[in-house]
Amino acid sequence: MPASATFFIRRFPVSSHAVRRLILIGLMVAIAGLITSINPVFLTMGNLQKLFQEAAQVGIIAVGFTLVMITAGIDMSIGGIVAITAMVSINILSYTKIPVPVFVPLLLLVGAFVGFINGYLITKFKLPEFIVTLAVRSVLSGLALVIAVKDSLGFVQNVYIQNDQYLWFGTQTFGSIYRTTIAFVILGVATQLFIKNTRAGTNIYAAGANPVAAKLSGVNTERTVLGVYVFSGICASMAAIFISSRMMTAMPELGIGSEMDVIASVVIGGTPFTGGVGDIWGTMLGSLFLALIKNGILKTGISPWYQPIAIGGIIVVTVIVDVWQKKAHEKLTARAKLRKLDAEARKSAA
Amino acid sequence: MITQTNANDVLLVCRQIVKSYNGPLVLDKVDFSVKRGEVHALVGENGAGKSTIIKVITGATNRNSGDMMFDGQVIPLNHSRNKAQDLGIGVIFQELSLIPGMTVAQNIFLTKEPFFPGTRFINHRLMNRNAQELIDRYQFPLKATDVIDKLSIAQRQLVEILKAMSMNAKLMIMDEPTSSLTKTEVAMLFEIIRKLKSDGISVLYISHRMEEIYALADRVTVLRDGKLVAVLDKEQISPAEIIRLMIGHKLEENALAHKLEPKDGEVVLEVKDLTSVGKFEKVSFKLHKGEILGLGGLVGSGRTEVVRAIYGIDPIDEGSITYLGKPYKPSVLRSIKSGIGFIPEERRLQGILATLSITHNVGITNLDRLAPKFVLNLKKEGEFSREGIKLVNVKPPVPEQLVGNLSGGNQQKVVLAKWLIRNLKLVIIDEPTVGIDIGAKDEIYTHIKNLASQGVSILLVSSDLPELTRLSDRIIVLRKGKVFTEFKDCVVTSEKILRAASGILEEA
Repeated sequence: MPASATFFIRRFPVSSHAVRRLILIGLMVAIAGLITSINPVFLTMGNLQKLFQEAAQVGIIAVGFTLVMITAGIDMSIGGIVAITAMVSINILSYTKIPVPVFVPLLLLVGAFVGFINGYLITKFKLPEFIVTLAVRSVLSGLALVIAVKDSLGFVQNVYIQNDQYLWFGTQTFGSIYRTTIAFVILGVATQLFIKNTRAGTNIYAAGANPVAAKLSGVNTERTVLGVYVFSGICASMAAIFISSRMMTAMPELGIGSEMDVIASVVIGGTPFTGGVGDIWGTMLGSLFLALIKNGILKTGISPWYQPIAIGGIIVVTVIVDVWQKKAHEKLTARAKLRKLDAEARKSAA
Repeated sequence: MITQTNANDVLLVCRQIVKSYNGPLVLDKVDFSVKRGEVHALVGENGAGKSTIIKVITGATNRNSGDMMFDGQVIPLNHSRNKAQDLGIGVIFQELSLIPGMTVAQNIFLTKEPFFPGTRFINHRLMNRNAQELIDRYQFPLKATDVIDKLSIAQRQLVEILKAMSMNAKLMIMDEPTSSLTKTEVAMLFEIIRKLKSDGISVLYISHRMEEIYALADRVTVLRDGKLVAVLDKEQISPAEIIRLMIGHKLEENALAHKLEPKDGEVVLEVKDLTSVGKFEKVSFKLHKGEILGLGGLVGSGRTEVVRAIYGIDPIDEGSITYLGKPYKPSVLRSIKSGIGFIPEERRLQGILATLSITHNVGITNLDRLAPKFVLNLKKEGEFSREGIKLVNVKPPVPEQLVGNLSGGNQQKVVLAKWLIRNLKLVIIDEPTVGIDIGAKDEIYTHIKNLASQGVSILLVSSDLPELTRLSDRIIVLRKGKVFTEFKDCVVTSEKILRAASGILEEA
């Protein structure tokens, strides 16, 4: 067994990553099979459409979040950004006549602005990412309640969105695929190309891998980190548009608590908390995996109360497996090296 | 080597200590002893095994074989920090191990806090009083209730000493205690060491500074390449003799003596009265085209700080830099743009992007050429990577290989490669071969020499003296942040450099 494993490592020096991904896909197929065997409704067009849309709603946020994680940061404010964006949107729909094609793109600026605040605080004052974004999340969730549309008694009103142009985003399909899903795929592919093929993308990896070395090599790490938080904010705002459109309403709590789903998607996708590693393909698979689990829980008749338990459990298991796999890989590499040294020693002795 | 006269005189005895970290022997059958109530200095070049023997004595690591006895008790092979403390071995490391935010008393009595009788509640008043008694006994300028954060480095060292004293230490080990102290603080520390000595406590003192050893030590043990070279008694101690023993007269001494031949072409870099307060002062030198200028000196003499300032990492307080005939105001980006390369010390912390491939590591300093606009030219990045790999002979020659998985030597080659494929005029190299094997070392030397012969000027910082003398065309020795002396047009040996770094001026 070790012999074949070392052979494998010698043949594919960096592919523990690829192995991990193949395992994830295999697992997804197996789980899908299991769910179908319990409830054949799973494999119907309607359910799959919903499943992919569900994956996309979390995945759009996760794309931005992945870049933050590659810089070894974290953005806890994403849920707050979703809420505030949705509330701004509801206000505009309720009180103004600004046409949808005009204000929807501007909604992205809400996330960009919040992301800028995050990034500015983190880079300018060298504050810990977690605390800054957690504080901003709190501010935003309060602000969302403050600006929510209220009735005459001051209670938050559940506004139904009736603007067809706005509903175009989340309730309609293109062919047989929801527009949310298409947007997710386009965003994911574009971001993947961006991080692998542009100067700014390279800087993101470098800043996360070793900020000191990156700086000495001429990378503007502050600007890079700032940009990543802006992008994360934009993605969260984008998700807010699709989610509120799909639900045809928006409450001020919208998106609060979605951090868990997003973190799970990114971590399952193979982007670790330590920075310098990761890609969007993994995150896309991760969000699909998560949606599959959630959907499976519903379709197999398990109480939805188990969803958060499953998500938390999956995060822990994934992290354990990653640590374990890293150790095993190091051990095998070390063993291969020793064997090589041994062989050389024997050769020179002979 | 061990005095058998009276076992009671000797506090610590080490016999035939052997230690290896999976590979070459770091300690090769070392005999070592410390007498009761003496100040014993331990000296040797970098890599001679000083810190390893300290680690063995304090239980930070375990020896492979050999006997150790402390205060009449045999120390078993599986030693540990806690056991060393219980025996009465106290250590003051260069990086102090105090907990910020806590008071002096809290630090001294950490894990040994006094309780109110019959409870598990800490009696703070008693703890502060005990600490203050300890402080007063040695008349340290401290208060038990001072918070660590507002103390100077020197005061923190005192707290460390007290911490060890509170555990009834019989042996106090000090690893380069003066490296970050001012003159008056050093004098104070010496006073304290003498006081400890008069209380019958032994002090094991490690320092690069000869004058300190001369002033303090009763005996000196010299290590070289993991072996015991000599134990000198008080009357035998002289700085020149110690240096001679540290370097040793190896057979290849002649091969290690290098004729320096300064180049006098066009001046590429001129530094005038460069000053950064607290780091270096009025440093001036010229660097010619194709010349390798070595910067020698002890660790902490300001060499690294000077080159960091020239590259534009740290600010300069005073002085001027002229680069290619024009006044130059350094910044990292400007330096890269104008043909300056920088190979930092501490490869893992500052040099490599461990989680990224060789290709990306090579690419990162060349983004100006790979992505003049926005989109990265992946094909070109791959070409650069292959060019770099071929140039410095990285093994394995796989562009996709993650740099974190390469050996130390190959990692350093990658750091070299990312600059070599650029059109450089000046390269700053800081400790190029720390922790890499001899084969890779030689290769790196060849690249540095080649670079110079192509007309690139090189500023080389190295603590490895044979390396410095072998590569340099001219050597400047810094001492305490100032240029101490310059070697040019003469035969230079490691010994000469070390003497200069220790503050001994040669008569011409």
